[in-house]
Amino acid sequence: MEYNKVQMNTEPKADNRSLALTALEDFKGFAFYHLGRFSLFAVSFSTVLIVLLIFFFVFQQGLPFFKNFGITEFFTSKQWYPEARKPEFGALAIIVGSIYVTIAALVLAVPAAILTAVFLSEIVSHKIRNLVKPVIELLAAIPSVAYGFFAVLVLAPFLQAEFGLSTGTNALNASIILAIMALPTIVSVAEDSITAIGRDLREASYGLGATRFETIFFVVIPAAHSGIIAAIVLGMMRAIGETMVVWMASGNANQIPSPWWDLTQSVRTMTATIAGDMGETAKSSPHYQSLFAIGIILLVMTFLMNIISEYFLASAGKNSRKK
Amino acid sequence: MKKNLFTMVLVLTAVWVCNLSAAEKTLQIEGSTTVGPIADAFTEAFSQAYPDVKITVTKNGSGNGAAALVDSRCDIAMMSRFMKLDEFTAAVDKGIMPVAHAIAMDGICIIVHPSNPVTELSLAQLHDIFTGAVKNWKELGGPDMPIVAISRDTSSGTYESFDHFVMRKDKMDASIEYVSSNPQLHSRVKTTAGAIGYVGVGFLDAEVKGLKVNNVMPSKQTIANGTYPMSRPLFLFTNGYPVLGTMSHKFCVFYLSEKGQEIIEAKGFVPVTKY
Amino acid sequence: MRFIIRNITDKIFTSLTVLSVIVLVAILAVILTPILWKGFSAVVFTGTIEFRKMQLDLFNRGDIDRLNNENTSSQSCRKKIYDTIDRFKQNIDAETLCDRIARIYRNFGKELQRKDVQGAEYQRLRSLSREIRDKLETTFSSGDKKVIDENIKDVLKYKTDIGFKDTSAMELFALAEDFAADIKNIDLAKRQEYADALKDFENILTKLLGDNPSLPVPALKMDRYGATRLDIAQKNLYKLLWLEKWQQTSPGKPMAKIITPRAELFAGTEIGPLFDYIRDNLDEMLIPKRTFYWQYLIDGSTPGHYFGGVGPEILGTLLLTLAAMVFVFPIGIISAAYLAECSSDKFVIKIIRMAINTLAGVPSIVFGLFGLAFFVLYLVPLFGGPSKPCILTAAMTLAALTLPVMIRASEEAIRSVPQSYKEASLGLGAGKLRTFICVILPAALPGILTGIILSISRVAGETAPILFTGAIAFGPTPKNAFDPTCTLSYGSYDIAVGDRLASLVPHNQYGMVATLITLVFCLNIAAIIMRAKISRKLKGH
Repeated sequence: MEYNKVQMNTEPKADNRSLALTALEDFKGFAFYHLGRFSLFAVSFSTVLIVLLIFFFVFQQGLPFFKNFGITEFFTSKQWYPEARKPEFGALAIIVGSIYVTIAALVLAVPAAILTAVFLSEIVSHKIRNLVKPVIELLAAIPSVAYGFFAVLVLAPFLQAEFGLSTGTNALNASIILAIMALPTIVSVAEDSITAIGRDLREASYGLGATRFETIFFVVIPAAHSGIIAAIVLGMMRAIGETMVVWMASGNANQIPSPWWDLTQSVRTMTATIAGDMGETAKSSPHYQSLFAIGIILLVMTFLMNIISEYFLASAGKNSRKK
Repeated sequence: MKKNLFTMVLVLTAVWVCNLSAAEKTLQIEGSTTVGPIADAFTEAFSQAYPDVKITVTKNGSGNGAAALVDSRCDIAMMSRFMKLDEFTAAVDKGIMPVAHAIAMDGICIIVHPSNPVTELSLAQLHDIFTGAVKNWKELGGPDMPIVAISRDTSSGTYESFDHFVMRKDKMDASIEYVSSNPQLHSRVKTTAGAIGYVGVGFLDAEVKGLKVNNVMPSKQTIANGTYPMSRPLFLFTNGYPVLGTMSHKFCVFYLSEKGQEIIEAKGFVPVTKY
Repeated sequence: MRFIIRNITDKIFTSLTVLSVIVLVAILAVILTPILWKGFSAVVFTGTIEFRKMQLDLFNRGDIDRLNNENTSSQSCRKKIYDTIDRFKQNIDAETLCDRIARIYRNFGKELQRKDVQGAEYQRLRSLSREIRDKLETTFSSGDKKVIDENIKDVLKYKTDIGFKDTSAMELFALAEDFAADIKNIDLAKRQEYADALKDFENILTKLLGDNPSLPVPALKMDRYGATRLDIAQKNLYKLLWLEKWQQTSPGKPMAKIITPRAELFAGTEIGPLFDYIRDNLDEMLIPKRTFYWQYLIDGSTPGHYFGGVGPEILGTLLLTLAAMVFVFPIGIISAAYLAECSSDKFVIKIIRMAINTLAGVPSIVFGLFGLAFFVLYLVPLFGGPSKPCILTAAMTLAALTLPVMIRASEEAIRSVPQSYKEASLGLGAGKLRTFICVILPAALPGILTGIILSISRVAGETAPILFTGAIAFGPTPKNAFDPTCTLSYGSYDIAVGDRLASLVPHNQYGMVATLITLVFCLNIAAIIMRAKISRKLKGH
């Protein structure tokens, strides 16, 4: 009805312009089109620019360190005494510490995450799924500093009181919290890749008389393996790059735990070292540059992981498209 | 409507960004986290007396304070140690003449959990604990309990002083935990039975137990007169002696006033003079 | 048999998955409940008269007349305590006596200046009075009767000096005489014990009831008021009534905590009955009332967040997000539009996409390093700004961090606009730009808004990137974009581990984090609801 009204009220205007464009108009259109496209492109390209700038500036500040102190000490020595009269910059224990808590966190997180992903994609109805998904999103949304707050003020005293540990801020505490933080990432990517596996595979498996467990464990998960690996790598990136939690909860002792499985010892991570030391370090001192050098290691590590995860995501995409 | 709102927000932001009010009196203070609380409290007192003066206190470590003074980025640098030779020469090269104002004394106290029966340690024993030579309280006459030694971050002024008093030329053991602030250390020791750590005298309270060092208990008297082996002055550094009557000058001599000393004592430090 | 095992494995597996989800929900509950519950108590609690006094003094808020009435009744109840202490303290506490002589000495010096006493006479009186002060100080803190007698005799020798006649210095002698008289019937050995115990007692009493009104107002605001909340008052009361001591029970073991009534220390003195009096009359002295302190969200705070609220932090967080959005919003939407609509150049798109993924994977602390090296030390000084961390640099750093969130959400939103909309618009003769702005953008707006909300929540919660690029724990309200600011996120860090005062006020610790979480959650829940609405719409509504 309304449409009709509008029609009746607007008299068609007489337009005596010829439909063909003049040369100038044609050129104008062409020029504006490309100008517009170019400006869109320029703005979009700023993301690329930022990435390049990040690499450039972190390397620019950090490389002088490797030039002055070499790389052998940095990667092989455990002696980290940046402010001593004769400073030593052995970051081995710090790098190992980062990897250590990350792996411990993954050991805790991956089984739970994959089970949850299976639960969401295979077992429950759409309705329950819609109820559980926000919970996972909220877990992902809690700011890392709030997790750190919880780790220091609630979890650390609890660990000390209940398990009689000599210190509550240790690798275990940091790993538990990191596991919780990595969970949402792993769950959502793994769930996507499990859902992407076509019905035909499942039906074939059920048709052969397999139980749900067998179908999921021997058919669906192997089929979705690249997606799940990508999910784990992404979770790993989240854990290794996390700062506030490990800074507040890991104890920051510059040591490699011995025996290696003793999670109740304090460790120090790369991110925590940067966060803790940078605030009070004089600019352009060797200590300052060494922190940027750690930044380089972090950057390169996450960049490589990113490439790996993208490779697996791409192959997961190909697999599901094949069907 | 939405568009208008957005434009409004944009305009407001632009106005706020460009609001560089020029004629305001400002005082930039930067440096040590140990001196920071004193400067904060002085600022609180100044904000009542001189409401039009804006004082910004940035607590980012003695090293940065010195660097900021050298680059003229701040009016007053707070330092928990004296300037190092290279900082001093860098300053003089740039035509800055650092002048020290010792505003308070601070003692580095050794704290343990209150359940720890050990009451006294010598500097040598402390040295052994932090180099990792002694790992159990048993060896120091205490209970059979592993020692959890906790240190401040290596870039802090407190660490440097402790390093100077106790560690001398030796390195801390790898098992030492590091925390990034005095309060954090205090709360770690408070909750950990085998812990030992060092903090400024202001953090000594009933929740932790302070130890005698070389048989001297840290207290106002022993720190002020130097009998306590680990006491140090806290400094404000300015470029030259501040012009009399300026805010800088008022701030730097505030520690001489009765109120200034009351604040210093309330913050747990020891005034350098007796009014 | 095999079938049964298979069946059981299947059941176990299913229940394991259910268990993992339950664990997930439980984790969320375990983390949120204490934080939100304790944080809530920063706003709703039982406030005492000290709270209302503090509110009136610091924030000029409250009913003055009613407070005065309350204060009179409370003070009348407290008077007995202070009087008893004063009487008891008179000759017990060496430090108070020393303070008093120090004050007299100072007044005498001022008096001399006022009277314009000059030259040698001034020097002589000044040094003489200093000598007397020092002597009296040793006297008061000494436990040896012989030393005391000798010193007092020495001091009183100067009483007849002509220079002291009719000056405030006479008070010194009066004090010395009083002391000499009182000391005769006091057990000096116990004097120090009483003095120490009384000092502790008074300290806790100050924490409970606030400063003794007859003394000068303390320099720090945090010392001026007693327990502002009933829960803290009860904690302090417990400390007042019970003495915790650590005692060696068996050698080679840690000491054990032993709790005895503090009153035992004062057995037989006038202080003894005070303990029961305080316990019984706490309500009359503190007048607790249910308080809804919503101003917690707008009030500033004293150093260490001892009093006050999180107003500056909320303001700082808002300013920071607003400033970051100024950068993120246009760049994000334009990039998304380019990726979704102009995807002809496969190679360029691939590079941009890769950049977005890389950016999303860069650890937040590396953004902090980048912000420090690029924005703080290079870009802002390049344009003549100050080379120090400020809101602008923090906002730009956060903008770089949250750009991928924004681009991905907006791109998805733009892509999910049905092709038919676009075709209809193009078919009616609208140009590409017009189609995008007038048709696609409005249709994609809810999705884009979701992206904005999510990036705001990310910006508000991130701490690591702003550690060195513009966050401070405590400071004045920022006047412009070149000032650093307090934020909820960095404040939460500082209040958890950076400030000892904060651990004395746990409600403020939790309050800050709870505010941050609530803010982030509200944003996220809004985004979730919005997304649900969009998906319902797309499914055909």
